[in-house]
Amino acid sequence: MTDLMPITVLGNTAALAETFGALIIRENAGLALASLALRKGQAAPSPFGLALPGVGRAITKDEYGAFWTGLDQWMIEAEGKAEADFAASLRAEAPGQSVTEQTDGWVAFDITSDQGAAPIEMLMRKLVNIDTRSFDAGSAARTLLGHLGVFVIRRSEDRLTVIGMRSVAGTIWHDLSVTARRLERQSVAAVSDR
Amino acid sequence: MTRLSGGLIDRDTPLDFTFNGKNYQGFKGDTLASALLANGVQLMGRSFKYHRPRGVFSAGSEEPNALVELREGARQEPNTRATVAELFEGLSARSQNHMGSLERDLLGINDLFAPFFAAGFYYKTFMWPKAFWEKLYEPTIRRAAGLGSLSMLPDPDDYDKGFLHCDLLVIGGGAAGLAAALTAGRAGADVVLADEDFQLGGRLLAESHRLDGAEATVWAAAVQAELASLSNVRIMPRTTVFGVYDHGVYGAVERVADHLADPGGNVRQTLWRITAKRAVLAAGATERHIPFADNDRPGIMLAGAMRAYANRWAVAPVKRGEDPIAIFTNGDDGHRTALDLMAKGAKVLGVVDPRPDAPRFGDYELFAGATVTGTKGRLGLRSIQITRDGRSEWHPVGALGVAGGWNPNVHLASHHRGRPVWNEGILAFVPGQGGPKGLHPAGAAAGKGATAQALSDGMGVAIAALGEIGIKAREITLPEAEDRDQKQVAFWHVPGKKRAWVDFQNDVTVKDIALAHKENMRPVEHLKRWTTLGMATDQGKTANISALAVMAELTGKSIPETGTTIFRPPYTGVSLSVLGGGDTGPDFRPRRLTPTHGWADAQGAVFVEAGQWMRAQYFPRPGETHWRQTVDREVLAVRAGVGLCDVTTLGKVDVQGADAGELLNRVYANMMGTLKVGKVRYGLMLREDGHAYDDGTCARLGEDHYVVTTTTANAGLVYSRMEFARQCLWPDLDVQLISTTDAWAQIAVAGPKSRALLSRVVDDFEISNDAFPFMSCAELTVCGGLRARLFRISFSGELAYEIAVPARFGQALMERLMEKGADLGVTPYGTEALSVLRIEKGHAAGAELNGQTTAAMLGLGRMVSQKKDSIGAVMSRREGLAQDTRRLVGLKPVAAGKQIMAGSHLFAQGAVQNMETDQGWVTSSCYSPHLQSHIALGFLEDGDARMGEVIVAANPVEGEEMKVEVVSAHFVDPEGGRLRD
Repeated sequence: MTDLMPITVLGNTAALAETFGALIIRENAGLALASLALRKGQAAPSPFGLALPGVGRAITKDEYGAFWTGLDQWMIEAEGKAEADFAASLRAEAPGQSVTEQTDGWVAFDITSDQGAAPIEMLMRKLVNIDTRSFDAGSAARTLLGHLGVFVIRRSEDRLTVIGMRSVAGTIWHDLSVTARRLERQSVAAVSDR
Repeated sequence: MTRLSGGLIDRDTPLDFTFNGKNYQGFKGDTLASALLANGVQLMGRSFKYHRPRGVFSAGSEEPNALVELREGARQEPNTRATVAELFEGLSARSQNHMGSLERDLLGINDLFAPFFAAGFYYKTFMWPKAFWEKLYEPTIRRAAGLGSLSMLPDPDDYDKGFLHCDLLVIGGGAAGLAAALTAGRAGADVVLADEDFQLGGRLLAESHRLDGAEATVWAAAVQAELASLSNVRIMPRTTVFGVYDHGVYGAVERVADHLADPGGNVRQTLWRITAKRAVLAAGATERHIPFADNDRPGIMLAGAMRAYANRWAVAPVKRGEDPIAIFTNGDDGHRTALDLMAKGAKVLGVVDPRPDAPRFGDYELFAGATVTGTKGRLGLRSIQITRDGRSEWHPVGALGVAGGWNPNVHLASHHRGRPVWNEGILAFVPGQGGPKGLHPAGAAAGKGATAQALSDGMGVAIAALGEIGIKAREITLPEAEDRDQKQVAFWHVPGKKRAWVDFQNDVTVKDIALAHKENMRPVEHLKRWTTLGMATDQGKTANISALAVMAELTGKSIPETGTTIFRPPYTGVSLSVLGGGDTGPDFRPRRLTPTHGWADAQGAVFVEAGQWMRAQYFPRPGETHWRQTVDREVLAVRAGVGLCDVTTLGKVDVQGADAGELLNRVYANMMGTLKVGKVRYGLMLREDGHAYDDGTCARLGEDHYVVTTTTANAGLVYSRMEFARQCLWPDLDVQLISTTDAWAQIAVAGPKSRALLSRVVDDFEISNDAFPFMSCAELTVCGGLRARLFRISFSGELAYEIAVPARFGQALMERLMEKGADLGVTPYGTEALSVLRIEKGHAAGAELNGQTTAAMLGLGRMVSQKKDSIGAVMSRREGLAQDTRRLVGLKPVAAGKQIMAGSHLFAQGAVQNMETDQGWVTSSCYSPHLQSHIALGFLEDGDARMGEVIVAANPVEGEEMKVEVVSAHFVDPEGGRLRD
């Protein structure tokens, strides 16, 4: 094992987590990512037992997950494996397909609510042009957040993951935290927000 | 005080405010305009051009006159309409556009020169002498122009943005809007109801009509309560839907805290983008006036506004309560104002109605067959002249209400080039076909303004709109409401010799329109620009149709033949702050940071923006007083020892698949499919038109696995272009792409001692020249097992490598290399040294790949393979491009020590310097510490055959020139021995 010390996307030694009223935003530094693209004419494999999802969908199974990123393309996720060679593991699970290491290309922010769906949806309404009515658990989208392209995954009613480019992690954190802070300040008014 | 009884103000909550420094009191529920009127203040501002005294003219966002500066300090806000400014405790407002006091505006002298300021004044007057325009006329006009003033302080408030999605967006919360929202809400549709007012109800709040026998506000409040109880309805007061955009997106501004003295931690305004499957335009109608002589005095206002002030705000718009009020109307509607005022106990002189058979609806004096032909009162209306059958009489009045009919608010319906159509029955334009898809006008906005019509139309339109998207809505029980046909005649203005204002905000009179007609500025768009009609903050909401009617009369055409103005967004002014979405300063745009950013910052690096990236430009050391000292040191350290530079920003595209090589053959001008595994090749991409596009390296990591690098600037563009090629041009190829730019931290290790340094971090990897020669690549591990990629490539011309590790380890690797290379003199270098190194080596970069250059010009003509086709290859051989003889050359100043300015143009010595004799230009320039001279790169006609020739680098604009010698572009190691050692 290397003795080099990794840093987080925001340049720290420990992942950031901050509470904003009902919401907690956590940098998920342990999430490993690798892209999987099918070679021409190949059938979709089931890496780590995952049934690869269709357009606009995401699934998780144990510590693994997958979300659709394009025609015959998925991002495969593995919790807690960011420092392992996850692409190599995926390659073994999907032999003959195109697999590319993506872990450090991205930053993942997990946003959880302790008051159900409403705070998550209010945050979404301020950040992404996604219809929260139809963006149920298991939905995934590539969209704009501020000026940046991101993946947004609804893990469950009260949990959302935003995945964006690693180099702009600071800007994404700014967008998320400023908005969450505003909502926290407006929480009284937010009760009537629908 | 001129308060009446009743109204929708909260008399238990008095609010103190100031206007022009004087203290007044109003109530919660007042606007600044209603509160000032209640205090007998009629004079609120000065007109734009003639500085005529002006008072409030309307009771809504269409206000042309009562524009004030609101608030103090950094929150000072010019050109705010007093009619929509909600009163709050401590509000301070000032009138604007006057020199000296509002009452004694020195610029009022402009009014005396009115004959000189006629339509087209600027265009006619400031023609000559030509030189005066820029130096005298324009600055003078600019000083005189504009209304309010800016604080020049940064906006202290926070702004927000957001997105909403709904089945039905209801624009306007009056009778039609409330009926539509309730119909849709009960049907279970997702509804957004937006209204620009702070209270729902629209004209229901302003009229005395009863619904189901009770005050209309009772019904409105009940509907609002029911809507608020429905989880599928979102009510948005203080929200103006200002524009319709593509794909059913509506722009709206919610004034979250405009009605508070201080937002108190809340945002000030929110910009909403509302994606609506369908929308109901229930924006109501705007009353128009009837121009007559001197019709712009404070105290003269729209009759409908007068009703609003009386009924909603309990105000008689006069200076003293006992002053009588007159009404001038071309139809039945104006009579209602007289009735409402009388019911509230205000004194009414009577109703002036040009119809000889005008009906009388109550106990007031009727001047049938009469018109208002003049007014008196310097700072406020004192009397009006009523003329009937050629006989004129003066009557003392304190206010005059003018009713010229109602114009449906077709604005949003005419975005997307929807053309309003003339409805002769109601003498108004109504929304036509061809407007925004999915937007359905209803109620007064559709020309159905009687309350009963508006209610049933709102309901019906909502049912129809929802039906289009498969939502079945049922009819709701509507309240009993007035449904009287309001008769009116087409009476557009009172002819006369004196000035009769059509557009108050821009001081456009009937005479100006007549002049425009005389001068053949007859089409509506010409009329607008010649007279400035319909411009500025109110966009002519109260003026446009009256002006059209006057023009129609002059041309002898009908109004629809004369034309109509169309409306663009925004419906009312939108602040730049809210459009900006709240992020300012360093957060204004995204910043991309390299994996070693924190480390570089700690080293004291100076950063430079490279697109969105922040890159270390140079690393000053103590004692270095000038950037050049630092850069020279960094350059020499690389040439003599070893330097480190974070080059993560260069784009990286992972290319895999059985046809990966074939795709690369087609996007690169040179052959890539033949590259051996473990090798890197320099590649050049062309644009479709044959010009050079981007350069970089391509490494083959496996049989069907390549990594393409691009320039920093083009990383995203090249990737998307490759995706386009893969998906659209050659979908038959088996190839998969993904960007890995951010995934890998890449550090350039350059200089004769780079191998020595790298050998100290690689794990069991043979790095000797034989085992890993120039243009090799490999996947390996470093620092005890960390996966890495090593490329032996050189931008500096020295022995050099680039090493990549997962981005999270980039900083640690940089620190390790610094530590391990201390005895080798390892030196971090920034983009400035990187640039000097590449200029010394004659490598092209952004300045050479500027979209105007060809492969041949870059000296890379032979890279465009003849053996295969690739993007841009055929076009690069086209006539006109292939014959370009300009070639990349090096340039050295003849006089030592002189700097060659980048951007200079190149000429033969002694030649006249013009476009015809221009032989090329200087692309890049720097001081070379290695050569101890300034050097430059440039493109020169027949450059490769002119080595040693002395030419001129000139800046003809500034009259500067210098002699330069043409040399090889490769100032350092032209044979390339160093990078192969």
